[in-house]
Amino acid sequence: MTRRPTAFDLTADEVSHVRPGEAPPADAAVIVEEAVEADDLPAPLPPVRRRFSWSRLLFGAVAGILSLAIGLWLDQLVRELFSRDDWLGWLAVGLIALAVIAVVAIAAREIAGLIWLRRIDRMRRRADLAAVRDDRPEAEAVVDELIKLYADRPDLAPGRRATQARVDDIIDGRDRLVLAEADLLAPLDAAARRLVSDAAARVSVVTAVSPRAAIDVIFVVVATLGLIRRLAALYGGRPGFVGLARLTRLVLTHLAVTGSIAVGDGLAQQLIGHGLAAKLSARLGEGVINGLLTARVGVAAIDVCRPLPFLERRRPQISEIMAGIRAPRAK
Amino acid sequence: MSFTTFSDEARIALDNMADFAWSLGSPSLRLGVTGLSRAGKTVFITALIHNLTHGGRLPMFEPWRAGRLLGADIRPQLHPDVPTFDYRGHVRKLTDARVWPDSTRQISELRLTIAYESATFLGRSLGRGKLDLDIVDYPGEWLLDLPLLSKDYRAFSSETLERGREPRRTAIAADWLAHTSGVDPLGPADDEAAGRLHELFAAYLGAARGGSLALSMVPPGRFLMPGDLAGSPALTFAPLDLPESGEAPRDSLWALMESRFEAYKDVVVRPFFRTHFARLDRQVVLVDVLAALNGGREALVDLEMALGEILGCFRPGRSSWLGQVLTRRIDRILFAATKADHLHHASHDRLELILRRLTDRAIARASFSGAEVDVKALAAVRATREATVRRNGESLPCILGVPQEGELLDDHLYDGKEEIALFPGDLPDNPQALFRPPEAGEPGFDALRFLRFRPPPLEVTAEGVSLSLPHIRLDRALDFLIGDRLA
Repeated sequence: MTRRPTAFDLTADEVSHVRPGEAPPADAAVIVEEAVEADDLPAPLPPVRRRFSWSRLLFGAVAGILSLAIGLWLDQLVRELFSRDDWLGWLAVGLIALAVIAVVAIAAREIAGLIWLRRIDRMRRRADLAAVRDDRPEAEAVVDELIKLYADRPDLAPGRRATQARVDDIIDGRDRLVLAEADLLAPLDAAARRLVSDAAARVSVVTAVSPRAAIDVIFVVVATLGLIRRLAALYGGRPGFVGLARLTRLVLTHLAVTGSIAVGDGLAQQLIGHGLAAKLSARLGEGVINGLLTARVGVAAIDVCRPLPFLERRRPQISEIMAGIRAPRAK
Repeated sequence: MSFTTFSDEARIALDNMADFAWSLGSPSLRLGVTGLSRAGKTVFITALIHNLTHGGRLPMFEPWRAGRLLGADIRPQLHPDVPTFDYRGHVRKLTDARVWPDSTRQISELRLTIAYESATFLGRSLGRGKLDLDIVDYPGEWLLDLPLLSKDYRAFSSETLERGREPRRTAIAADWLAHTSGVDPLGPADDEAAGRLHELFAAYLGAARGGSLALSMVPPGRFLMPGDLAGSPALTFAPLDLPESGEAPRDSLWALMESRFEAYKDVVVRPFFRTHFARLDRQVVLVDVLAALNGGREALVDLEMALGEILGCFRPGRSSWLGQVLTRRIDRILFAATKADHLHHASHDRLELILRRLTDRAIARASFSGAEVDVKALAAVRATREATVRRNGESLPCILGVPQEGELLDDHLYDGKEEIALFPGDLPDNPQALFRPPEAGEPGFDALRFLRFRPPPLEVTAEGVSLSLPHIRLDRALDFLIGDRLA
């Protein structure tokens, strides 16, 4: 059956006009129910960095040399009668040169990663000191360095602009750091918390369902390393292999040092929760414990990677992160 | 390419090289807003500027979402001899008087400079973080002239007369056709006779374009919107009933008309094409599908033909950096069904399907030559809200708004003040059903009726700041058209 085009006069008696949130009357013959305007703003995405990859160039070049060798071998095999040509040699030399360049570039990146780690460490200590002493020039220097550190980040452009707009204002040392923290680091903190939550959730689930202990161990190690690396990338670092190893050591040291503090951090409740879970199923309990461990490593990694100490903003709590696992995430 | 001469090509290439040299420092992008009259070009351009300059809500426009869009500004335009697009006047009309802008009577131009933060390292360190967007607004009727470039007077005459003899047009074409058949093309050249013929012909074109017929295929376009050329010889010609073969004798009416037709192409059409259309980077083709649906099957088929002929004049293709220097090509084309707010969003997919069917030849051509093509239903300014109407146990997807003064539905004339909920009818699942004669039991075009609504009242926040104009999918359109250049 076809539906004819129809107009409904909103002021007519038999028509009742229902705005969003109102309950439609029961007796009206025609009900015009206004639609709720959906806010289709998607959640901000973590930055996707598409960079030119030197390691890919290395593998490409090496593969090129290998294929050259194979080609040469084929060439010899197929056309043994022909004398070898010069240009192949030059090509190989060129490719080797590329490989050398790539090796140098990777080494440079490793060094850059290590320099970044030291720089972050120094910045944090300076900021800490400046905040305690309320030292204005020092705080300004730290904020400048922070802006420089994130100059490459388009996703932080609004925060950078807001921070720069305040350069001429009269603001005390600690307050300036607090403002910079709110403008520049708040979005990163939110993303970092989500990263840790996700990793903890993955580890918990995999531990709970994996058939063999060896698998969980490998998975926990891989997930934890991946988490540390991603957190470092989020806060602006690009640790290479050596950098990551060093970073991991720092994180573990930090975890050991701050381990005793964590008792107050809702860990007792979490452990009791683990006891309950373990009563239900041993594997479930293990999953919860592994997830907790990952979350704690994540929090420690945030501490190590963050260029400022937590001043006004709260450090993510283990309980919050574990709650974040259960909360529905906006995709 | 048959509709441009060799010297045209050379001039286009020269202009391109000059542009390229200029734009090394400041990249510019030419956006061609094409659409027949009343397709919504002026409103589209106005809404685009308004949303970019007022920081409108454009969540699906990636630079806006990432916070990389810093702002936009209207800057001095490219050609100093062309009037500037009256952006402020149009916005005032839309927001204060709440009426749509009048149909465009003359060409105008605009340059919008968009400031952004590049997402790439190279872009940030080397680029200047600004993009110049050049847009041209013009009467849509003028577009109908582009296909004339590849036709001679004989072809133009026979095609125009043939179209005039179609049964649906007989009522409006009778006077003109009767007069034309009484004129001997081989007779002496007579200015007065030519003027009389032109008058009748122009009256017929106007009647075909306006009124309930809503036909699209009514060239030459300047006859409908002459601009400052009204009354000049180049605009005073008409088709004649020519003999099957032979050349025009000297000093005959035929020769006079033919020379004026050629002058029209040389003086009017070609410069317009060369300065404004031969060198576009991106193109958005606005189509008012709903008006054609109101007009019935003939209007729809006519629209299809007009779009096919016009779009054949553009140059789509993948652009390379080297090609960019000599020949600019349109590497992205968006086909947009405008006024999508006059329809519930549940029907937008079907609207897009109809548009796809309407332009399938142009889409195939553009895709084949390597250009990216997208089809969207959009509303540059959203005039309605949505609602569901429950009546006798059935629920109808409706839109809420104030119909324009003079709109008619079921013998009710609207005064431009009352707000109604409108159910405009169901678009068919299969767009093909609209293009062929209806089968028994199938709903025809009378099962559809789209009213035109007045522009929305502009919302004002508690602080008294007026918000930007609401829209539907303008952000997606922008992302497709210019998003990659703001990367």
